[in-house]
Amino acid sequence: MNEKAEWLDLAQEKCANEKSGLYYVFGGIRTAVWEKWIEFKHEWKKITASSLISPLLYMLALGWGLGSMVNTGDRPYIDFLVPGIIALTTMNTGYNSVSVSLNVQRLYERSFDQVIISPTPIFSYIIGQMIGGALRGMYAGVLILLLSIPFGVSIHINPLFFVVMFLNGMLFSALGVLASVIAASHLDISRFSTFVIIPMTFLCNTMFPVERMPAAVGVIISCLPLTHTSRLLRGIAYGESINLLSILFLVCLLAAFIVLTNVVVNKKNNL
Amino acid sequence: MIQIKDITKKYPKAEQYALDKVSLEIGTGEAFGILGPNGAGKTTLMSIITTLSRPSSGNIFVDGELITRKRNDIKRKLSFVTQHISIRKDMTVREVMELSGRLSGMSGRLIREKCDQLLEYTDLSDKSKNCARGLSGGQQRKLMIARALLSDPEILVLDEPTVGLDPHARRKIWDMLINLKLRGMTLLLTTHYIEEAENVCDRVAFINKGKVSDVDTPFKMINDLGKYAADVFEENETHSYFFPEIQDAEEFVSSTDKMIRIRETTLEDVFLNKMGEGLGREA
Ligand SMILES: Nc1ncnc2c1ncn2[C@@H]1O[C@H](COP(=O)(O)OP(=O)(O)OP(=O)(O)O)[C@@H](O)[C@H]1O
Ligand SMILES: [Mg+2]
Repeated sequence: MNEKAEWLDLAQEKCANEKSGLYYVFGGIRTAVWEKWIEFKHEWKKITASSLISPLLYMLALGWGLGSMVNTGDRPYIDFLVPGIIALTTMNTGYNSVSVSLNVQRLYERSFDQVIISPTPIFSYIIGQMIGGALRGMYAGVLILLLSIPFGVSIHINPLFFVVMFLNGMLFSALGVLASVIAASHLDISRFSTFVIIPMTFLCNTMFPVERMPAAVGVIISCLPLTHTSRLLRGIAYGESINLLSILFLVCLLAAFIVLTNVVVNKKNNL
Repeated sequence: MIQIKDITKKYPKAEQYALDKVSLEIGTGEAFGILGPNGAGKTTLMSIITTLSRPSSGNIFVDGELITRKRNDIKRKLSFVTQHISIRKDMTVREVMELSGRLSGMSGRLIREKCDQLLEYTDLSDKSKNCARGLSGGQQRKLMIARALLSDPEILVLDEPTVGLDPHARRKIWDMLINLKLRGMTLLLTTHYIEEAENVCDRVAFINKGKVSDVDTPFKMINDLGKYAADVFEENETHSYFFPEIQDAEEFVSSTDKMIRIRETTLEDVFLNKMGEGLGREA
């Protein structure tokens, strides 16, 4: 080690700029988004490749394979399918990119300890994680849009399309945060996924219209967020008018998840 | 100043208290050691001080103010080197430092400047672009210490900071801690190397089964036990006898024909004695 301890002499500078609470709130959000970005930077090749695989399979197996057998009126089935795949992919990516890494940090690498003891409010850090997860979801969604070009998919896209993707990603990132702070082990994360995420993947208006379900089941499914996302994205893709209530529903649910996560985090004595 | 007032902690589903009405006061600029056997509650106490874990009852005051997870202004004064390695292994050394700096609300420029100096100081400069996963255990620990110093804490809490370090590195860390103390930083550390506490700490507390038994300076504790020790090998065990003066020890030696070694008493003797598992008996 170096004999001269110069690093100690910067102490004065720190005292000179005492930070306000709001500074830490924005700083926390920025830090978490930065952290997600670093995560992405290290692994972007793997992330990109793996984000392409399952949509590609869906498009091949369902879009081309099954799609040639189903009659969807005047539109090809793949035009129906792609918005659904985008909805479920932003969901999956948002959920997984946050829950898995946050869980590893909380229970295994234990670097989450540093977040708790730092002056950054945990709440703002968590919001940042959700934003980071939403951006990752959007990235995956955009990849699918690009992937759909060679499949000859013709859908409309407007800025609202991206807003909905972001909102959906954020909603499920929030769920990911919630799952990862509740989880007592790593297995809990995949269990949660099995019980919540996978059923939604298949049922929520993604691969077939909810109307094809028995009425009672349809009602339940209509209460699930992914149903609304698929409906919104498909509406935009078809160039139809969209239902603002669905957006409101997603926003309210997101707010509820954020509040719930905050309550859970604050209640925990030993994070 | 850190005031620990009647801290009690019971983990969910645990039968015994991890901490039982612990009260301590650590002065500003003091180096304070907490010593105790495995499972005594040292880590629990430090986690509570740093708000990582919440006490079942009792309060902790830092400079007179109650510390909770929400008090960012007080948390800003603290840094914690945890007993377990707590770094993101997928990040590079520099990124680990930057993450911590950002969490402490430091500007990018300040982070870069201090990071270079600290990595140099902890011999990690040439590893700065390496993944933390690729560091040896000792290097990871040094990184944790460097990280803790990044935000210029007023209070540095270290939970067994030198576990797994080689003797040279350990002594460097001691020098660093003494240096920090001389500059007015408050240190709170636990260790199983009693020698470490004796070297670095102004005062030490013994803790066992969640209860603090003794708090004093190492010097006073050693004096109370007897400055000189005579190790006698008898009945297949080494027994230590303690004497206030060297003459007493020599007298004792001449009174017996057993194998005896006279030496100065260390804090470790005190520790072994107080913790009840010591083999020593007062002469
Ligand atoms: N998360 C936990 N859940 C339940 N019990 C715990 C938990 N952490 C610690 N304990 C219990 O609390 C007691 C004190 O543990 P603690 O980790 O504070 O000991 P320690 O003094 O740091 O020991 P060591 O020297 O081994 O690090 C132990 O009996 C332990 O079993
Ligand atoms: Mg411990």
